[in-house]
Amino acid sequence: MTAGADVQQRPANARRPPDPRRRSFWLLSLPSTVALALFLVVPLLLMAALSFRADLSGQLLAPFAPTLKQYQAAFASEGYWRLLGTSALIALGVAAISTLLAYPIAFFLAFRAGRRATIYLILLLVPFWTSYLLRVMAWKLMLGSEGVINSVLLGTGIIQTPLDALLYNRGAVVVTLVYVWIPFATLPILAAMGRIDDRLHDAAADLYASPWQQLRRVTLPLSLPGVVAAFFMVFIPTVGEYVTPLLVGGPSGTMFGNIIQDFFTRAANWPLGSALSMVMLGATLALVMVGFRVVQPRRLIGR
Amino acid sequence: MRPTESRLLRGSAGLAAILLVAAACTGGASTGPTSGSEATPPPSEAAATPPPTDTPPDQVTGSLNVLDWSGYDQEIFWQDFKNKYKNVTVTFDFGNSDAEQYTKMKAGSQADIFHPYTGWLQFYVDEGLVAEIDTSKLKNWDKVPDSFKKIGQINGKQYFVPWDWGFTSILYRTDKVSSVDSWSALFDTKYKGHISMWDDGPAAVTVSSYIHGWDETAITDAQLAQVKTEWTDQAKLDKTYWGGEPDLVQSMASGDVWLAYAWQGAYATLLGQGVPVAYANPKEGRNSWVGVYGIRANDPNYDLALRFLDEKLGTLTGNNLVTNYYYGSSNGEVMAGITDPTLKTAFSIDDPSILQKTNFTPNLTAAQRDAWTAMWTEVKASQ
Repeated sequence: MTAGADVQQRPANARRPPDPRRRSFWLLSLPSTVALALFLVVPLLLMAALSFRADLSGQLLAPFAPTLKQYQAAFASEGYWRLLGTSALIALGVAAISTLLAYPIAFFLAFRAGRRATIYLILLLVPFWTSYLLRVMAWKLMLGSEGVINSVLLGTGIIQTPLDALLYNRGAVVVTLVYVWIPFATLPILAAMGRIDDRLHDAAADLYASPWQQLRRVTLPLSLPGVVAAFFMVFIPTVGEYVTPLLVGGPSGTMFGNIIQDFFTRAANWPLGSALSMVMLGATLALVMVGFRVVQPRRLIGR
Repeated sequence: MRPTESRLLRGSAGLAAILLVAAACTGGASTGPTSGSEATPPPSEAAATPPPTDTPPDQVTGSLNVLDWSGYDQEIFWQDFKNKYKNVTVTFDFGNSDAEQYTKMKAGSQADIFHPYTGWLQFYVDEGLVAEIDTSKLKNWDKVPDSFKKIGQINGKQYFVPWDWGFTSILYRTDKVSSVDSWSALFDTKYKGHISMWDDGPAAVTVSSYIHGWDETAITDAQLAQVKTEWTDQAKLDKTYWGGEPDLVQSMASGDVWLAYAWQGAYATLLGQGVPVAYANPKEGRNSWVGVYGIRANDPNYDLALRFLDEKLGTLTGNNLVTNYYYGSSNGEVMAGITDPTLKTAFSIDDPSILQKTNFTPNLTAAQRDAWTAMWTEVKASQ
């Protein structure tokens, strides 16, 4: 949502001439700015500083002699680089699939659900009433060797031995992440569609546009900002995802986020973990910038 | 966390700030990290705490915060203290790996008491995070065998109170695997897809050392490189790495995993569930570890913390540990009193030769810790 809102507002703000409402703008943005500075920027700076430490010995906040040792270690291991590439690819796939699957849901909610849209929207959000962990664990029950899918296939005689390939691999990670992200991806698309004037569809129909043409020439272009927002909203956090691969990934489903998490919780090596986080931050930033170059959200908004 | 992350990424401010910090680092500070290697000051008779020993337990008030592994917060695992010190509030924080416990204490956790395991003790002393134990105030101290007391000693001083212990060996399903006589079974391609290793770098180094007969306290770079290659290949045989004991128990009970690196708690739990399992006696010897409790350096609550640890060694608490988690107690009387045949099997009480051949986990140096854990993450990254 945030990304979507930003995409919408930034050019508008930039053009607005100074006016008395400017003051209230600053007042209103003050709490979020302070919160972000305290809880995001400061910890991030601390982490950046940590990545230049040689090790974790001595006082954490005391001055230290900075070193690039951790970055050298991070860059020296080709395993880390390959894994970063793999994680980006997984994120790309997950973002593409969930956005694709979310689009019809958003379309239905915006244009076809009518008065019941609110109820359907609540139903869409019902999964969030239970913990994320629980939903991922549920997929273990689905995909496990004695899980739901295997039981059904065995019971109907389609297979004779349970499929081991369902759980503990990258496929399981992708399936679970797509499931988790679909409701999130729906929201920005829905928001974008909500702004489409329904009379445009009537106008298109009056001009003998088929439903397919309406979708392609009217709805899709106008909802593209939401689609782009949804895509990046899924893509960015998924690059650094670690809980899902931890639970359903197995040894072969490890992602870059797991490596970072390991350095913090299993290795007591915060400096190297911080350096790897910084590398991931830089890489994600670069990818997003390339992505924005390609799709040019400002042009999409058409202002 | 997720939406904010995207916000940050879109601003170039984050990047600029990072550069700023980098500049600040290079500009400032030529002084190296202050080494905390100087021994911790002896336990202070802090004025804030109740006078030592004399106050009857039920008149002692105050509160204690314990950093422990989840599960050990249950009252049964500090029953003696609970029963005697009715007016003391005990709260728990959790750290579910040695690294997590260590980094929490390192980051300035105000926990009075924490619970590390052998392998991870030296750094607490080196970094000045742990207070020396005044054993003269521990009434139950005599019940602890000397071999256990020694494990809590670093640089010749008693910094830790030993509490729980157990074996590590290979646990296997007897209906799927005929027999196991060596740690190298973890590398046996026969069991491809049905093996589970603990997700831990030092553990991998230990297993490789046993197999090759290396001295695990003096692993060379070449040996570490070999360990990395071996475990990178081994990963293809694994069903999954296990993180916590319940995961392991579940995957062995369901039949997904036939053979695993395992603590004896998993063995005893599966025995109790009627799953056909056996716990190997590898020719290289089993491994054994000991859990200890330490008191935070300069803790104003030192005396109360000491009372807590004294009661931790109590018989009721020890019995609860043995019967509920199937781990050994450092209280010798508790172990001598075991009669349950399942427990006797789990602890190999009837076969003393097993214990004689057992390899106890040595303490890591900070350099070993960093090198071995990094080796393991690279193993995991290159799947």
